[in-house]
Amino acid sequence: MANNVHEDFLRLTGFEEEEMAEYLPEWRKASEKLGLTEEDVRFAVQERLPAHFALELEGIRKLLGCFVKETIDLTKAIEYKRRGTKIVYGILPAILHFYYALKLTAPDKVFVSFPDIFITFVMNSFFHKLAPYLEEAEKTGIPYGCRHCALNKTRYAIRRLGIIPSPDINWIWGFICDEAPKTDEFIQLYHDPEWKTYVTRLPHDQPLGTVEDEVIERVEYLADQMRDGFESVQKEIGIKVPEEKIKEVIEIWQKYAAKVSELGQLMSVDPQPLNAVSGRFFWEGLFTPFNTGIESMEKALDIALREVKERVNKKEGILPQGAPKLLIYSMHPTVPWIAKMFEENGVGIPLSEFFILTKKQLRPSSFEDPYMAAAESWLRTSGMVNPGYQAEQICEKITTHKFDGMVFGLMDFDRWLGSSHRILGRMVEEKTRLPVFYIEGDNWEDRDYSPEALRTRIESICEIMKIRKA
Amino acid sequence: MEILEELAQIVRTRPEQLKEQKDKGIKIVGYVGRFVPEELIFASGAQPCLLCRGGQPEPPDAVIPYMLRFMSPYSRSQIGYHLLGIDPVIPLLDLIVVQCSDCHESRLADLFEYFKLPTMRLGVPPDWEKSISRDYYYKGLVRLKRTLEELSGNEISVDRLQESIESLDKVRDLLSKISLLRTTQPPSIGGHDFIHLNHATFYCDPKVLIRKLNDLYEELKKSKSPFSKGTPRILLAGHVVGVGDYVVPKLIEDTGAVIAAEFLDEGVRQCVQHARTEGDLMRNLAETYYLRMTPPSIFQPAWKERIDYMKRLIKDYRIDGVIWYELSFEEIYDLECSIISKEMSQMSIPFLKLESSYEYSREAIGPLTTRVESFIESVKQRRN
Repeated sequence: MANNVHEDFLRLTGFEEEEMAEYLPEWRKASEKLGLTEEDVRFAVQERLPAHFALELEGIRKLLGCFVKETIDLTKAIEYKRRGTKIVYGILPAILHFYYALKLTAPDKVFVSFPDIFITFVMNSFFHKLAPYLEEAEKTGIPYGCRHCALNKTRYAIRRLGIIPSPDINWIWGFICDEAPKTDEFIQLYHDPEWKTYVTRLPHDQPLGTVEDEVIERVEYLADQMRDGFESVQKEIGIKVPEEKIKEVIEIWQKYAAKVSELGQLMSVDPQPLNAVSGRFFWEGLFTPFNTGIESMEKALDIALREVKERVNKKEGILPQGAPKLLIYSMHPTVPWIAKMFEENGVGIPLSEFFILTKKQLRPSSFEDPYMAAAESWLRTSGMVNPGYQAEQICEKITTHKFDGMVFGLMDFDRWLGSSHRILGRMVEEKTRLPVFYIEGDNWEDRDYSPEALRTRIESICEIMKIRKA
Repeated sequence: MEILEELAQIVRTRPEQLKEQKDKGIKIVGYVGRFVPEELIFASGAQPCLLCRGGQPEPPDAVIPYMLRFMSPYSRSQIGYHLLGIDPVIPLLDLIVVQCSDCHESRLADLFEYFKLPTMRLGVPPDWEKSISRDYYYKGLVRLKRTLEELSGNEISVDRLQESIESLDKVRDLLSKISLLRTTQPPSIGGHDFIHLNHATFYCDPKVLIRKLNDLYEELKKSKSPFSKGTPRILLAGHVVGVGDYVVPKLIEDTGAVIAAEFLDEGVRQCVQHARTEGDLMRNLAETYYLRMTPPSIFQPAWKERIDYMKRLIKDYRIDGVIWYELSFEEIYDLECSIISKEMSQMSIPFLKLESSYEYSREAIGPLTTRVESFIESVKQRRN
């Protein structure tokens, strides 16, 4: 029986029968290390996953499997380090090209990961069991009351609990919030002197409305920062990456980005063919490096695209045709009931603003130099820039995907990404004349904002939207 | 002390003075943050005005419709009074220079711009150990200089800048000397007055100020301490005590302790280093402001150096206990607090964390007083 629930879990997450012999013992070991009981796995198999993911689709099962494989791999990082593999961490959001370029150059000599992302996603989206990690951090120096980010708490907690080793280098990006890089300084001083970091920052000092990717001085500064950071990382771990590898990664990334964009287009078809939570993990491939590689994510995406297209062709939807649909700033599968609650109330939130790309983002770079190209790409991304420019991009996305309104909020933990929503909402409402809503909450974890706490708000939004659309 | 009262009067009447100056055609430049050099503003012939208010709950609340509520009440206050229609200074400003070293400041700049106030951002990269970051800040200062010249119509000549640097250095010297008087026990001036004094230095004409600080220093040297010999000596540390946010400093001293030293990032003059007045003055200013002063908490790395600095303060000012004054939702200071608390515990220095959202109603003051009293009592017992 004990074996069955783990086997069921792996089958449900897209593992093939021939993979069982290899992955079952590894998963059992990993789940034990993560503090998962058989009851937790059973809960995932019988309740959590069937309730929130379209498991009838092979592409979605395979997608979940990619996260399981990566999590298993992450729990082996201590062994990798013992064997001499160089450990390189990063934090979200970052441009993952550099991490993949390391991996492409020296696949067996380097381990790359944004560890908190995988633990947070898997523990909460699959098992609803991130709380013990958060509580561990809260009782040992990152207090509960200040609304610190769950990712930062998790990164600290998994180091404290010995789930991950100290990195050879942790290249941390403070291009958005301050807390993420400072958490690494905290970890080093408070808990682990071996937690070696290299920090790269970019001040938020552009006036509202500045098209930041067209300010050449800014692009150059960011490119210099990236070059400086990447060179320091290479020096630290003794691996030299040729520039062609970065270019190679950019091509791979663009190919994947084009496919994800295609999924985005399909998701916004009427009727909405797939629930919002199911496909959301695909977008993570744009921002988070997989040590196990992007290839299996791409394979899963290909299958999912085929399956979703079939649904579109048959006009099969999870909502009736003509149902209102809202663009949401960011929907996280870590709190999957939010999207489900919208859908149950007859309103779709098929896509997250943060993850869908504008036409300009899909356009090739103006620069040959890979650092300039990466910097330009970063400064074309809505969440990374000033609210004036961001609002313009949001309006384009609303028009392209024909949304009926927008939902902001659910980012209480982020003093950068979450703090502009109120004025962003006003700007978007002024420009589009569409309804804009704000929900206070935290889409990494739901200890403070339970379904009961948010139900009235979400139901009211849905009622308004249905009345407007009627 | 009469001089303190005179300075307080100058602070109180500052808006009227600014209005008079504006009527005469003098440009008024508000600024947020310690990385905006007043030297440049004075040298342009404009009048600077530090935006550093705090201590009341309504202004930060007024910002909630435009900003996440889990943001610093201090940052929110800088525009909150204006949104409530009770800020006499902001409508007078020809330019607001906002340092952008962290998210709270940058979002404040967003709001100033959103409300169509004349705003300029000064980028301050927190990764301060890199040459490209240093250069970034320097270029920002050059842009600021150009903006001030265009605004005021005055060239910031080397002579004017040198004069301005020398004048403010005198202010810093005098403040340092006054602060050093607090190394004696009992000190002739407490922290509550010293913080007021510091605030006053941002709102006075430097010439008047230098005279008054000199007089004050001479008077303090001779005067009898208002504190008793056994008064426990407290280091008040944290982000900022805003202008008007005097409840906690007063409470500490009313409870029988003295604030013998402060370790605050904003709202006080950083007096330790002076800009050199020979060579490239702009480079000197950039180097002094960015590199040579104690790094603020947001800089990275900063905390180890800051702990070392705190240890020096504890030794030099014979500190008996540390009170960490933290403003709600200031996430970086919250992390730093844990590190400092651990360090103080290892040094066996009593440590108290006080968190404030500027809620000082009668209901809130009661428990706050009890905590401070208990802490001071334990420090006293330990001292005895």
